[in-house]
Amino acid sequence: MRKFRYLLYKDYLLLKRDIAGLLLMFLMPAVLVVLMTLLQESTYRVLKDASVPLLLVNKDEGDLGRAIEEEIELSGIFKIDRDIKGVVPTQEQLEREVAGSRYTLGIFIPENTTETIRKNVVKYVVTAFSGAEELPALDSVEFVIFVDPTTKVSFYSYIVSTLKERTQKIEFEYILKEVTKQVNNISPIPISSAGFSGDQVVVDIRSARLLGKNMVPNPVQHNVPAWSLFAVFFIIISLSGSIIREREEGSFSRLLTMPCSYTEYLLSKAVVFLVVTLLQFGLMLLIGIFVLPWFGLESLNLGSSPLALILLALSASVAAIGYGIAIGNIANTFHQSSVFGAISVVIMAAIGGVWVPTFVMSETLRQISKLSPMYWGLSGFLDVFLLDAGVKAILPECLAMLFFGLVCFAIAVIFNYRRRLDV
Amino acid sequence: MDSRYAIETENLRKTYKGKTYPTLDGFSLKIPYGSLFGLLAPNGAGKTTAINIICGLRKYDSGRVWVDGRSISDGMKHIRPLFGFVPQDIALFPTLTAYENLKIFGGLYGIEKPLLEKRIDQLLELFDLAESRHSYINRFSGGMKRRVNMIAGMLHAPKILILDEPTVGVDAQSRRMILEKLLEINRQGTTILFISHYLEEAQQICSEVAFMDNGTIVSQGSPEEMIAKHNSCSNLEAVYLLLTGKRIRDN
Repeated sequence: MRKFRYLLYKDYLLLKRDIAGLLLMFLMPAVLVVLMTLLQESTYRVLKDASVPLLLVNKDEGDLGRAIEEEIELSGIFKIDRDIKGVVPTQEQLEREVAGSRYTLGIFIPENTTETIRKNVVKYVVTAFSGAEELPALDSVEFVIFVDPTTKVSFYSYIVSTLKERTQKIEFEYILKEVTKQVNNISPIPISSAGFSGDQVVVDIRSARLLGKNMVPNPVQHNVPAWSLFAVFFIIISLSGSIIREREEGSFSRLLTMPCSYTEYLLSKAVVFLVVTLLQFGLMLLIGIFVLPWFGLESLNLGSSPLALILLALSASVAAIGYGIAIGNIANTFHQSSVFGAISVVIMAAIGGVWVPTFVMSETLRQISKLSPMYWGLSGFLDVFLLDAGVKAILPECLAMLFFGLVCFAIAVIFNYRRRLDV
Repeated sequence: MDSRYAIETENLRKTYKGKTYPTLDGFSLKIPYGSLFGLLAPNGAGKTTAINIICGLRKYDSGRVWVDGRSISDGMKHIRPLFGFVPQDIALFPTLTAYENLKIFGGLYGIEKPLLEKRIDQLLELFDLAESRHSYINRFSGGMKRRVNMIAGMLHAPKILILDEPTVGVDAQSRRMILEKLLEINRQGTTILFISHYLEEAQQICSEVAFMDNGTIVSQGSPEEMIAKHNSCSNLEAVYLLLTGKRIRDN
């Protein structure tokens, strides 16, 4: 054990003096997590903030037009203009403005919309109470929504369906009010529609509670674990580099002529880098909890199972360390290990959903992403952060990462044995 | 196995994967206890392979190796503490200080801390490096690195010291100092296996030498005996060229 302490001392000193490596392992992910979270958050904010330009022309002077206008204002999605340089546009002018991409949407509420609906209701009620079998012909009411043709289909579909939903609700409430008024005109017993609205059927949309499936994290919940995993895997540059440097410099051979086994040599590196990866996780979680809120982002909620988080961090560390040790033993030169290591980690991150969340990937890519150890880790963390998952729920991800790490470790040992002893 | 020898090899054979010819082809060597033994060979003769096998760094195809009477095929656990190895490369950690390097290597030999610190101080003093103990290795001159490289192999006062070209790339002053210290250490009872290209060095300090070529020992004896055996030769270099030829070996 005393000898092992000297190996730990060696690896600790070597790491401490590797300033570039330390910056790569701690500063780079810290900057990345803040930057990427802010970038993603600003993209989301475009949708949330009152920033979708809308040209609204309300020619109706009645209640329905006003109610629709109020609803649109209250939605908070739009930046509303009602005229162009002080002049209220015609329907054709409105269409031209939207076609020229100056507005994402244009809404034209025609004259007498309220009055037409009121007349329709009166006609309907009178006919209904007169005992006539045929319902009267009703005048159509049409208001037009123009959409900028360069807008993404998914985006305007969302906006248009929201608008339609709100308009129909107002229309329903207005019709109900008018029907009540007309009925009260002819009925001896007064009735009231107060408290009766179009909100009777509530559509409750929820994320499916199946672990690891259909979860949509916010930018903080996604980026903190994602870049933590990226940072943890990025240690392979330093780890494999230190193995190769020692081999090239000859100190590795010297160590093996001493009473020091190859297993002890690797274990010492693994322990030192395990401390590094756990510090990385700690740092990134602290950034998620305390630093990101400074930038107006949500604070990271860690879920309710610290043990699950520790287990995930340990498993991801084992996977990364095993991978780093394997590369350090397979690569012949530092150049090979750093290039291959960096590229492979970037690929793992890309397909594992670190840069682009897997929920926006195509089905094929989603299947491919399951091959990446970073995907396993990320799924586990999202289960804990979003679904309050405990140890049992994240065990499959942990086992997959541990297995990956141990397989890499075994490959490293076999490779080293064959290379060093030439057997 | 003969108890008079610190290192003994018998008919060692080794052919690397992918090679059609053997690197070691019946390599038999006997290094007596207390000797300062020079192993001299042209490039590519197989001396590094032989040393690596003796140190347990490579496997061999056939033959026997004993170090201090123990067969290395029985495992290196008890053999490793007996010898010190000074490789040809500067096998040190360049971003650590001389003291930190020596503390780590000494610690791995299991030397207790107070004794280790005493040994480091003594050897740094002996090799004129005491003032640079806390300087980083990557700021040392070539000669200083060579001397720290040597100290790292002898911290645990080994019974046998194996040095692979310890004077390569150093100036005359450092070389002289290294050779003097080797003689001093040998006089204190340490068996030394000294591998070198410099024949005048070997003639100057070795009590016994062996010439190696094409993976086998071609001649062995004291420098005086070797010169005397070949009347036409006035020094060890002439004997060496006579026995190994004048053809340049690149590998």
